[in-house]
Amino acid sequence: MQRAAKCALRLDLSRAFCLSRSGTVLSVMQKSLPPPRDEEEKAMLDSMLRVDHAGEYGANRIYAGQMAVLGRTRTGPLIQYMWDQEKMHLEKFNEILGEHRVRPTLLLPLWNIAGFALGMILTRIEGTMSCTVAVEESISEHYNSQIQTLMEAEPERYTEWISIMLLKNFVMMKKKNRDTGLEHDAESVPGYLLLKTVIQVDCKAAIYILQRI
Amino acid sequence: MAALIRGLRAGRALRGLGGVAVQGTVSLQCSNVRRGFHRAALLRLASDSKSDTSVPPPSYHEVHTAGESSSSSAQGESSEDAQPNTSFQDQSGEHGEDYETEEQLQARILTAALEFVPQHGWTVEAIAAAAETLGLSSASTGMFNNGAGDLVLHFVAQCNAQLAETLAEQNNQVQLGQAEAKKTAEFLKDAVETRLRMLIPYIDTWPQAMSILLLPHNIPDSLKHLSTMVDDIWYYAGDRSTDVNWYTRRAALTGIYNTTELVMVQDSSPDFEETWAFLDNRIKDVVNMANTAKQVQATGEAVVQGLMGAAITLKNLTGMNQRR
Repeated sequence: MQRAAKCALRLDLSRAFCLSRSGTVLSVMQKSLPPPRDEEEKAMLDSMLRVDHAGEYGANRIYAGQMAVLGRTRTGPLIQYMWDQEKMHLEKFNEILGEHRVRPTLLLPLWNIAGFALGMILTRIEGTMSCTVAVEESISEHYNSQIQTLMEAEPERYTEWISIMLLKNFVMMKKKNRDTGLEHDAESVPGYLLLKTVIQVDCKAAIYILQRI
Repeated sequence: MAALIRGLRAGRALRGLGGVAVQGTVSLQCSNVRRGFHRAALLRLASDSKSDTSVPPPSYHEVHTAGESSSSSAQGESSEDAQPNTSFQDQSGEHGEDYETEEQLQARILTAALEFVPQHGWTVEAIAAAAETLGLSSASTGMFNNGAGDLVLHFVAQCNAQLAETLAEQNNQVQLGQAEAKKTAEFLKDAVETRLRMLIPYIDTWPQAMSILLLPHNIPDSLKHLSTMVDDIWYYAGDRSTDVNWYTRRAALTGIYNTTELVMVQDSSPDFEETWAFLDNRIKDVVNMANTAKQVQATGEAVVQGLMGAAITLKNLTGMNQRR
C-alpha cells in the first residue's frame, strides 16, 4: 500500500519534472486546476488563463514572423523547433480554455498581426536572442506575480498550479543563463538598453490590457 | 408586556440591520447568505424569547409588525412576518423548520408571483398578490427595490437555469451513448425553441416584460443573463473555440435569439409555427454564411498561392532568382 503510494508520488514528481517535454507540464496543469468556487475566484482564474493563453498565442505569431523572414537561412531549423514547442503549448491552453469556459481575449486579431510584425522586426535587429531574453524576463515577472496572487488567495488549493508555474520559471531561468553568453554580444549595441526597456514596458502594458479585455 | 417590549427591541434591531443591507445592493452572494443567516439567527433568539413567556395575541403582533414594515423599506420585517406565524402555529415548542434565507424567501414570493402575471401583468401588484397568498402582508413588496424588474429578472434566470439543466441532461445522455449527438444547426434550433417555449404561458404580457428589461438600470443584468444563456447553448453545442470565432458565434446566436423573440410576440399562428420557421431560416442563414466564409478563405489562399507561383516563375524567367 505504502509502496504503491510512493510509486504514485514518484510518478507524479517525475511527470512534473519532465523538463524535456514542457507539453507534459501543461497537461498536468490541465488536470490540476480545481473548479472555481464562486464568482470572484472564477473571475481571477479567468483573467489569469486569458492572459496566459494570449501570451502563448502571441509567442506563436512572433515565431511565425521570424520564420517568414529567416525561414530559409541557417537559423531557420532552430526557430522552427522552438515554434513547434510553442504550438504544443498553445494547443494545451486552447483545451484548458475550452474546458473551463474561459473567454478568450477580444484583442486576438490585433495580437495576431502585432505578433507577426514584431517577429519580423526582431529578425532585423542584431541579437535576436537578447530580445527573447528581455521578453522572457518580463514574462517571468508576470508568472511571479500570478504565483503571488494564488499564494495570497489560498496556497493549499492551488499548490499544483503554483508548483508548475515555478517550474516554468525555472526552465526559463535556465534558458536565460544559457543565452546570457549570447546576450553579451548584443550588449555592445548602443541601443540595447533602450530596446530592452521598451520591450519590458510593452509586455507590462499588454498584460494589463489582456487581463481586462 | 415584557414580551412586547422585547419584540419591539428585536424589531428595531432588525430594522437597523435591514437599513444597512438596503444600502449595500451590490454584494457578494456569500455575504448575503451570511447576513441572511445572521438575521435568521436573531429572529430565532427573538422568537425564543417570545415563546418563553405568555403568548401575546398573534393578530396584534401581526398588525404591529405590518405597521412597522409599511413605515420603512427594511428587509428584515417580512422575514419577521413569516417567522412568528410559524412559531406561533407550532406551540409545542418544536423549532424544526429550517429558517430560510432572505434570498430563498424572495425567490419563493417571485415564483408565486408568476401565477398572477397573466392577471396583473409584470407589476408590483402581482408580487403583492403572491405575498398575500403566502400569508405575508402585501407590504412585503418593499423588499424588492426594483419592483417589476426583480420579477422579470427572476423569471429570466429561472428559465435559463431550466434550459441549462435540460441541455446538461441531453449532453449526459449523449455521453452515455443513450442518445445521438445532434448536428450543430439542429442543436441550436432545438435549444432556442426550448427556451422560447418557456415564454408561451406569458406571451401576452411579454412585450411589457421586454420593455422592463430595456430600462437602463436593468440592462446590465438582462445582458448578463442573455450572454450566459448564449454561452451555455454554444458550450453544450460543442463549441470550444478560443479565437475570434468565440465572439462571432455568440453574437450571431444573440441576434438570432432576439429577432426570433420579437417575431414570437406578434405571431398568431397555431403553436407559433411561423416563429419556428423563422428560426429555422435564420439558423440556415448563419450556417450558410459560415460556409461561404470558409469557401472565400480557401479560394483566397488558392489565389495567393497561384500568384506566388506566377511571381517565382517570372523571377526564374528573367534570371532574377540566380545567386550571383
